[in-house]
Amino acid sequence: MSDIKIKNIFVNGKIESGFIGESIAKHSSKTTIGGHSIFMGQVRRDDQGGKFVYAIEFTAYETLALEKMNLIREEIFDKYPIICLHVYHSLGVVNTGDICLFVFCSAAHRTPAIDACTEIVERLKTELPIWGKEIFEDDSHQWKENN
Amino acid sequence: MEIEIISFGKISEFIPRQKIDITGISDTDTLKVHLEKAFPQISTMKYKLALNEKLVQNNTLISGNEVVAIMPPFSGG
Repeated sequence: MSDIKIKNIFVNGKIESGFIGESIAKHSSKTTIGGHSIFMGQVRRDDQGGKFVYAIEFTAYETLALEKMNLIREEIFDKYPIICLHVYHSLGVVNTGDICLFVFCSAAHRTPAIDACTEIVERLKTELPIWGKEIFEDDSHQWKENN
Repeated sequence: MEIEIISFGKISEFIPRQKIDITGISDTDTLKVHLEKAFPQISTMKYKLALNEKLVQNNTLISGNEVVAIMPPFSGG
């Protein structure tokens, strides 16, 4: 087993805007930072042939997901000169309009912050064992597929 | 010889957690053939296996008593 501490990324339910605000505020003491890049995923009221999504229920194979996220994090730190990186993903039901993913990447300059943030979002969508069940307003559901 | 099966996402709707007998099966490629016979719905789907919480990327030996996860394409984010 690796002795590196594996960070938890999972949050039950939606990611609160207050939590996001506090995360930003905590970085004011890190004065080597010159740029933050933030991506937030929001549950869309998707129109699927006349049926509208009202929530997504997320489940994950948590142990596998956290290990994989840890590897991605290490690779991103090796590849880009970033100072810090925070990733949060919802589990359970998140309603339309609420935030289900929060990726926050900081560096001395904007380019690595933006590039690292983009790469993390792309990689976590394809590499982390997380599944979204789209629940429609009529209570039927279908399993989300990532593009 | 037995393994425990767990499943996720869409696959969890028709393959509940269970133990299956895998006598005569010694690797993940053979296990896939066995699973697709036992659960025909997955034979037309994309899926990946994890063996004891490790993603299976190449054919891997099974010794018994493992936990095998059957996972459809990921859709987080």
